[in-house]
Amino acid sequence: MSEQIMTGQPVIEFHNVSKIYTLYRSSKEQFLSLFFKPKGLKKHKALDGVSFTINKGDAVGIVGNNGAGKSTMLKMITGVAFPSEGTVEVKGRVSALLELTAGFSDEMTGRENIYLKGLILGLEQHQIEEIEPDIVEFAQLGDYIDQPVRTYSSGMKMRLGFAININTKPEILVIDEALSVGDASFKQKCHNKIKDLIASGVTVMFVSHSAAAVRDVCTRAIYLKKGKLVYDGDVDTAIKLHDQNK
Amino acid sequence: MFQIFKEHRHKWRQILLLAQTELRKTYKGALLGIGWALVKPLLTLFVYWFAFEFGIRAGGSTGGVSRFTFMLVGFVPWFFMSDAILMGSKSIRANKQYVVKMKFPVSTIVTFTLISRLYVHFMLLVPMFAYLWLTGFPPTVYMLQLPIYMVLMFVFFEALTWSTATMSAFSMDFLNLVNSIMTCLFWLSGILWDASSMGIKWLKYLMYANPITYVVDSYRYSLIYNKWFFIESPARTALFLAELVAVSLLGMYNYKRLRKQLPDVL
Repeated sequence: MSEQIMTGQPVIEFHNVSKIYTLYRSSKEQFLSLFFKPKGLKKHKALDGVSFTINKGDAVGIVGNNGAGKSTMLKMITGVAFPSEGTVEVKGRVSALLELTAGFSDEMTGRENIYLKGLILGLEQHQIEEIEPDIVEFAQLGDYIDQPVRTYSSGMKMRLGFAININTKPEILVIDEALSVGDASFKQKCHNKIKDLIASGVTVMFVSHSAAAVRDVCTRAIYLKKGKLVYDGDVDTAIKLHDQNK
Repeated sequence: MFQIFKEHRHKWRQILLLAQTELRKTYKGALLGIGWALVKPLLTLFVYWFAFEFGIRAGGSTGGVSRFTFMLVGFVPWFFMSDAILMGSKSIRANKQYVVKMKFPVSTIVTFTLISRLYVHFMLLVPMFAYLWLTGFPPTVYMLQLPIYMVLMFVFFEALTWSTATMSAFSMDFLNLVNSIMTCLFWLSGILWDASSMGIKWLKYLMYANPITYVVDSYRYSLIYNKWFFIESPARTALFLAELVAVSLLGMYNYKRLRKQLPDVL
C-alpha cells in the first residue's frame, strides 16, 4: 500500500481549491454542451479558494451552515468529486462513514459483499480474508451473513456497511455526524470504535452541527461560510464564529 | 490520455466479480435465471427464420449456404454487439452509485458490463456450433481465426462505449440518440443480407465501412465460408483496424474530458 507516513506529516492538502457547479437550465442545454462550448451558463461556486493542510493524527472538525461547502469538501477528500480549480492531495487510504451502503450488490451475500467492497476500497485479497472475521463479528448479522443483501433490513445493511468501513484499517477517517446506524446499543458500539480509532492516531475529518460533539472529538476546527474558509484554528473560536453567524 | 488503462491496473479481480454480479442482477429471481439470456435471442432467430423461410423471400440461399445458416452466424455476434451498444451506453448511468458515492475507477464499469455480455455470447456459441455441425459445417482449421475476431469485436465495442457511456451519463438525450441509431446500424449491416452481393455500389461500400458488417463477416469466414478473412479482404481489415484506432482515441478523449464532471451531473 502507501508508504509509512509519520505523525505530523501532511496527509491532506488543499491548495486554493474552488468548486464551480454548472447549472444547466434544460436537458437540451446539457446535450448541446457535449458538442459546443456552452456560453452564458449559470455557475454556482460551492467552494472558493480554500487552502489548508491536515497532518497525520489530526482530528479536525468542520463547521458551517447548510450550503457552506462542507459536503463538497468531504467529497473531494474521499475522491468522489474533483476540484474545478486548485489541487487536492490526499495520502493514505480514506474510509468515509458517509454512504455506508453504497457499493453493495443486492444479489450477493453479506460475505461476498465484504469481499467486493474490500476490493473497491483497494484492499488485497489476503487483507480482506484477514479482517473478514472482525467484520462479521462487528456487524452482528448471525446467519444472515450468508444471505443475499436484498433480504436485509436497512438497519442490517447499515451495520454491515459500518463494520466494513471501520475495519478496513483506514488511515484517514471521514465522518458525518448525521450518520445513524441502528439501535442505541449498536450506536454506542460504533461510537466506541470511532474513539478507539482516533486514539490510535488515525487522521479524522469530522462534520457536525453539534458543538459538543466537535469539542469532544476534535483538537482543531475549520469554519466554512458560503464556500470560503473563514477560520482554521482552535475549536472554541470556530464554534463561536459559527454560532454568531447562524 | 492513458487514464483508462491506469484505472484497470490491478483491478481485474474486481472487474470479473462485478461482471458476474451484473449477470445475476439482470436475471435475478427468474425461473430460468441465466437461461433467459439464451431464450430471447433464440426466439428472435426463430422469428427471422420463419419470416425468411415462409415469408419475404421463400427460403433461398446466399453464396451456397441456406439463408438461415447465413443469418444465424451473423446474429450470434450481433446479439453481443447490440447488447454492448445498448447496455454499454447505459452502463455508467445504471451504476451511478459507484460514481457519486465512492472513489471508483469509473471506466471499469464499461468493462465489467461488456464482459457480462461476453459470457452470454459464449453461451450462445454452444447451440450455434451444435447446429452448424449437425447441418454439415463441422469445425475446420479456419475456426482458429475466430478468437482473434472475438477479441477485436470486444475491444472495438469497449472503446466505443468509453464515448457512448460517458456521454449518455452526461446527457439523457444522447442515450436516446444512441437507441435511435441502433435500428439504422442493424439494417445497414450485413446481418440479414450479404454486403458483397449488393448491386448498388455506394451502398455496398457503406455497408463495408460499417464495423458491424466486418465482425459479422469475420464470423462467417471462420465458420461457414472456410477462408482466411484477413487474407481475402485485407482492405476491409485495414479499414476496421483504422476505425478501431479512431474510436479508441475518441473514447479516451471523451472519457478524459467528461470523467470529472460525471459526479456533478449524475
